[in-house]
Amino acid sequence: MSPSTHDQLHTLYRTLLVFATIGAIVLSIGLVQFVYFERPGEETGVKARIVGVYEYDPTTRMTIGPDRSEFPRADVFAAVVDWSSVPSQLVVDARWYDTFGSMRGEVGPGHPTDLSAASIVPVDVPPNLHFVLPGRYTFVVERLDADGVPVEVLARRFVLVDRS
Amino acid sequence: MITSTSPPAADPGSALRPRRYGIAFAVAALVVLALIASSILNYVYLDTIPGRASLYGLLAVASITLGTYILVRAFNRDRATRRNQLIRAAVLIGLGVLLWLLVIDVFLYTQSAGPVVAAVCALACLPTTAFGLLVVRRMDRNHKEPWRLVLVAAAWGAIVATTLVVWAETVWEVSAQRALVPGPGLDTSLAFMAGTLEELAKGLAVVLLFLVMRSEFDDVVDGIVYGAAVGMGFNFMESVSYMTNLYSIFAPEHQGGIAAGVQWYNRQVLGLFFGHATYTAYIGAGVGIARQLPSLRQKLLAIVAGFIVAIAGHFSWDAWVNLFPIPNTLFGIVAVHLRTLVMTGPFTAGLVVLLVFGIRYEGQNLVDQMRKEAATGAGAILPEEVPLLASPWRRLRQRMQAFQRVGLRGYFEVSRLQTAQLDLAMERWHRERKEIDTPLEAEQRLRERVIQLRHWVPAS
Repeated sequence: MSPSTHDQLHTLYRTLLVFATIGAIVLSIGLVQFVYFERPGEETGVKARIVGVYEYDPTTRMTIGPDRSEFPRADVFAAVVDWSSVPSQLVVDARWYDTFGSMRGEVGPGHPTDLSAASIVPVDVPPNLHFVLPGRYTFVVERLDADGVPVEVLARRFVLVDRS
Repeated sequence: MITSTSPPAADPGSALRPRRYGIAFAVAALVVLALIASSILNYVYLDTIPGRASLYGLLAVASITLGTYILVRAFNRDRATRRNQLIRAAVLIGLGVLLWLLVIDVFLYTQSAGPVVAAVCALACLPTTAFGLLVVRRMDRNHKEPWRLVLVAAAWGAIVATTLVVWAETVWEVSAQRALVPGPGLDTSLAFMAGTLEELAKGLAVVLLFLVMRSEFDDVVDGIVYGAAVGMGFNFMESVSYMTNLYSIFAPEHQGGIAAGVQWYNRQVLGLFFGHATYTAYIGAGVGIARQLPSLRQKLLAIVAGFIVAIAGHFSWDAWVNLFPIPNTLFGIVAVHLRTLVMTGPFTAGLVVLLVFGIRYEGQNLVDQMRKEAATGAGAILPEEVPLLASPWRRLRQRMQAFQRVGLRGYFEVSRLQTAQLDLAMERWHRERKEIDTPLEAEQRLRERVIQLRHWVPAS
């Protein structure tokens, strides 16, 4: 093997190792980001109570019918939260996330006592659309830290919206 | 054993062949076990109908895998048995493709959007993916990879890699959604999931090609070509899946066509070379560099490095794409292109650097070997042919001249001669570096083939 050939191959090898180092830094930043939003030791053990998920009438702003976990796409639905189940000193909110992870409805943040008038949390129809998007929806009641970052899920509920 | 060959191999002490076939067998066995487990778990724990489809899909994957293996090996057989092998491979692959279409398109895609939409989406993605594969194959200017292996790589990406990740991603996603706080933390976890699992599934194809078809896996350039081909196959299937899914979601709002069209543009035009193709090409680059490194430690490090870059590139897109929101104005059209350029562009640029280095490295060494071959006076490569063979443009000009004189037959015969001469130079290069385990006889056969082809080719 000639020295120049050897050098060229090792230049390629070293270039790849440099790229891998950059890659490792990128992945480390990702890990730091994950730990920042999923902080260890934030577990308080507090549980919030979700009364149920119901069909929702936007005109009367009232829920209709029984607690359900599956809805046709033409229906609007809402979760009902029992805010009295959450200690009053906590700062909390409640959010709906659609199947793509986009937020589709929110109440809070605030202390549970401030949110008692907002126990019904409806899901929002996306702008310019007539129906909610189909797929798996996640409803969460979250505890926020002093910076307003959600750090703990106090209650969670999944709902399936059919395509038809 | 290679040591028993006569004349002896370039590296008589090499035990590479038995060991790497053993590793390839173990990797393939693991893949099959993972597919079986995935299909059964899908059937038991997920939805029954897609789960059943997944079980039928297992048969399709097995047929395609076996057929592909027979196809690849058929070209190493003599002419008499090759035909039978090719027929067997065609039947198995055909059966597998039909089963696959039945399973995926009819049971899964059509479940959401209907068979016509699924067919239209697949047809829309075919020309762009074919164009991508054509460009990727042509990147190796000196020694193009056989179409059969490029297509095998793409088929693995489309069929086997996508199937491999279904269950693992479902488990990860469902567990993360049940345990994590929705928002950036969950998004980061899912980005780690996609980056790691999808690149591992795609990278397995490159590693298997490296282990089984080392005679067609020469260096970093070949690795980049095979890796990019696997990525394009994966991108094809993912595009069809997203297009049909979004069509079905937005069809009731009369925006199904637009949603599918936007996905097609993002994945088949903007992301054709920038997305999966770039990521998996890094795995190929790592394996290709490892192919020529002398020590096992360096080989392993190069392969791991390729995987790390691929996973990091994939992760960064999935994790941080939302940092570049696309405004709902005319500027959005510019923004969507800028986002791809800013986020994936640096990774693609790095890959181009490796590719350019690799082509230059390969080219210089082939010229060196061609000069040495010409100096032997064996007649396979003449001294005056070396500068011509070293330049892709001059090679093309020679083929075009043959075309003008004799027509298509002349073009292809000159092409075959040039390919055989470059094959010979490549064989000599690997032999000199002691990274080949075929006997010296193979090199002599290549030389004889060149001389035989030279007789057929009209004088230039």
